[in-house]
Amino acid sequence: MAERGGRTFLDPKVVARLVQQPMGTRLPMIGSVAGLHRSPHRGSSVEFAEYRKYAPGDDIRRVDWRVYARTDRFYVKEFEADTNLRCYLILDCSGSMAFRAEGRDSKLDYAKRLIATLAYLLIHQGDAAGLVCLSDRMLWDIPPKRNPRHLQALFDVLEEVSARGETALIRSLHEVAERVRQRALVMIFSDFFCPAEPLLECFQHLRFQKHDVVAFHLMDRLELDFPFDRPMRFVDLESPETLLSEPAVIRDQYLKAVRAHLTALREGCNRFAVELQTVATDENYEMVLRAFLRGRALKIR
Amino acid sequence: MTFLEPLLLWGLPLALLPVIIHLFNRLRHRSIDWGAMMFLLSATRKSTRYARLRQWLILLLRVLALVGLVLAVARPLAGQWLGWMFQTAPEVIVVVLDRSASMEARMPGGNVSKRAEALRVLAEAAQSYRESSRFVLFDTALRTPTEVGDPQALPQLSTAGATDTAADIPATLQAVVEWAQRNKVGHFEIWLASDLQASNWQPENQQWKVLTTQMAALPQTVRVRLLVFDQPPVGESWSVSISEVVRRPKAEPPEVEVVMVIDRNNPAPAPMPVSIGSDGTRAQVDLELTGPSYRYRHKLPVESATASGWGRVELPADDNPRDNVAYFVYGPPVVLRSLVVSDEPAVGRILALAAAPYVNETNFVAEVIHPDRASSVVWSDYAMVLWHAAPPAGPVAAQLQQYLEEGGAVWMFAHGRPGSFEGISWGEPQEAEEGKSWPITQWQRQDGLLANTEENIVLPLNELEVRRRQPLGGAGTALASYEDRVPFLVRRVVGRGELVACSVGIWPEWSNLREGWVLVPAVQRLLQAGGRRFTQAGMLSCGQIIPAGAGEVWTCLEGSKDIRLHAGVYRSGLRMVAMNRPPAENEVETIEPSKARTLFGPVSVQMLGDRKQGEGRLQSELWRLFLFAMLVFLLAEAVLILPSKPESAPLTPFQVKGGTP
Repeated sequence: MAERGGRTFLDPKVVARLVQQPMGTRLPMIGSVAGLHRSPHRGSSVEFAEYRKYAPGDDIRRVDWRVYARTDRFYVKEFEADTNLRCYLILDCSGSMAFRAEGRDSKLDYAKRLIATLAYLLIHQGDAAGLVCLSDRMLWDIPPKRNPRHLQALFDVLEEVSARGETALIRSLHEVAERVRQRALVMIFSDFFCPAEPLLECFQHLRFQKHDVVAFHLMDRLELDFPFDRPMRFVDLESPETLLSEPAVIRDQYLKAVRAHLTALREGCNRFAVELQTVATDENYEMVLRAFLRGRALKIR
Repeated sequence: MTFLEPLLLWGLPLALLPVIIHLFNRLRHRSIDWGAMMFLLSATRKSTRYARLRQWLILLLRVLALVGLVLAVARPLAGQWLGWMFQTAPEVIVVVLDRSASMEARMPGGNVSKRAEALRVLAEAAQSYRESSRFVLFDTALRTPTEVGDPQALPQLSTAGATDTAADIPATLQAVVEWAQRNKVGHFEIWLASDLQASNWQPENQQWKVLTTQMAALPQTVRVRLLVFDQPPVGESWSVSISEVVRRPKAEPPEVEVVMVIDRNNPAPAPMPVSIGSDGTRAQVDLELTGPSYRYRHKLPVESATASGWGRVELPADDNPRDNVAYFVYGPPVVLRSLVVSDEPAVGRILALAAAPYVNETNFVAEVIHPDRASSVVWSDYAMVLWHAAPPAGPVAAQLQQYLEEGGAVWMFAHGRPGSFEGISWGEPQEAEEGKSWPITQWQRQDGLLANTEENIVLPLNELEVRRRQPLGGAGTALASYEDRVPFLVRRVVGRGELVACSVGIWPEWSNLREGWVLVPAVQRLLQAGGRRFTQAGMLSCGQIIPAGAGEVWTCLEGSKDIRLHAGVYRSGLRMVAMNRPPAENEVETIEPSKARTLFGPVSVQMLGDRKQGEGRLQSELWRLFLFAMLVFLLAEAVLILPSKPESAPLTPFQVKGGTP
């Protein structure tokens, strides 16, 4: 199914291996139909949750008469409500995502692999998946749907998008936070080459809206290690700017700046309970996803 | 700063290689599309001054390392304060040993020769340089370098032994300088041990100027240390030399006359037993010496007029055992041939008679030729040339000059026309007043052509009546002069020969010179002088080059001796030569040490053992310093290019987790 239409970013074998691992959410979701995920509402499901004192207005049919017979008090029996989730997959399509080292995928391609696989897994387990592509503006905004045919639409968009233009990730994330009112799983795929503080404010905004936020921080190994030893002319992927530099002279400062940015992100994400997944593009994306899914399952349990 | 290999300094531009490579690298930089410009711009902004400085420092250190390498291989020398700072022991110490016979004189109050004492002192002084310097011995006899492994072995070296040679100090030093230039030695000292004998040092020799100029021009400044043994003998000292061996074929029985000269430092009359040995017989003659130089003719009877043999003359021992013996050889009589060049047969006949006055004497032969045939003459066959014609010109003049250089004797008479030859000129003919002549009033009576006879009879030059003359001018020594001080006879030494110029011709209208009272003895004496290279061919001085064929082996008749170094009689086939000390070795005159210092001109001279340091400091070789500096630069560069210590916070989340996607 996945290879139909030449989907290079989706590997059926990887999907087949990962489909056994359900993807959960750390927070209760409010879905429209029954699903795998916890709902904030108590309902009449089969899964007992707790007893609660009767309050005026409660449906008297839910009063547990046996308990009344024993204790002479009115208790209402509550059950867990399971529902589906809505997931927003947000892809940063700014120019910097096009960076690729020789023989490796670009960050955008890598993100496409992750998104396509996750989208498939979500829809396969009955959840709704939507896609938002951003660069200097909102390129695509596909609302979450749980229809398997919706998957084709997502893949078509993924096929079409390319990395170009400056990043407007912060503004766009605020827009998404404002627009999506219902609890959702928001997964952001980006290199986060923007100031850490405003970005963390976006995360805070999303969390304020009760979204479960996952940030996939994608970077290339060259960007992390800066292993150049000869003079280089660096051409900015997001602007016409160029910089002729002696890597040996600036390496220390570069690495220091990268570390500071990563540290700030990590601390910010911890503070706002945002799950940060740091991924280097030389890693096997299947392993990355497997670790991610397993981690989620452990946290839910 | 000077360099021993200055040509290698052309490699200095190589030091710019790191800069060129750096610029080249910058030119051929790679372009890369980059996403993380945020960090790059931040790093560029924050890149500290130290980081940039470090890059330039690395570049500078690389350049300096190469500069250090090039300078080290160019072998720099430091002078002045730098040399003072880095002075090291000289790379080479050249020991120049005066091995002349005069160095065999005993030290005052001891039984050790000056040469042996010099070797002892040199070996002692060399001790402190044993580990750091190389020793090379140059002796004055052979003037060849001998590597000395252990300076303590100096006194035992065969090249440091006693000889009967003279020493040519400037020539030996010249050989040292040439050796140093050829072998490109570093800084070196010359330790010169000598008795400062004037004849050996030749203070008037122009070679000193050339030598000191060369020494001063050496890239490494040379220091000379003098070890002087100029102490005069304490007691009486004498020496003997043989000046001439003359055959007397007419004597009955035939005899050989040995002319010996005994020099003394005490001119007071004193008896002297002289032992004269010849062909196995030994005789003693008791002489009563007077004056500092005593000349004695000893008649030695021989078997026949053509017999050959050898002998030795020996004086009693004194402070120098080396100068008490002299050797002589004699052989069959030699035919002395004279050549008369004259365009007038009558004149030629008179001159031929003057050259060969005895009709039955076959040992004197005179030939007369016309000047036109002079160009075809084999000059070297003749002992003397009498020239009564216009002064030679062109090829003949060149041949005659060559003949003089090789030891020939030439007498040139006035011929009536002005001319010149070898710096002596004949002016316009002058006529004396009617009935008058120019009397000759002054002439050298002690020696030379016009000297008194052995019987002290004066040559009758005052009886010569000169009515026509051609005044002599130019260079030369006047042997006789007219009353008006115009020279009558002039002598000039040319090479090994002598040229005599006469202001009159043989014609009767010029003078009565043809009558022979003066002409014959003077011509005979010139013939003897010119013939000495034939008659005295067997009498040579030690160190003199032997005119012999290559590969000739000389055997000493008295034990095993080296013909180049030791006095004695040597035989090679039928030929026999007597080697003696050079006559100059008998001269006792020495030069002052201060004079010896001045001979070296700008070259620094110290007396050996004088520890005073100052301007005489040697220039030191600094290549080690530059090599060390290069290593320091490379080490510093290596430290600077070391990657900085990783930050404490690693990028753990980004460590590789798996294989390729």
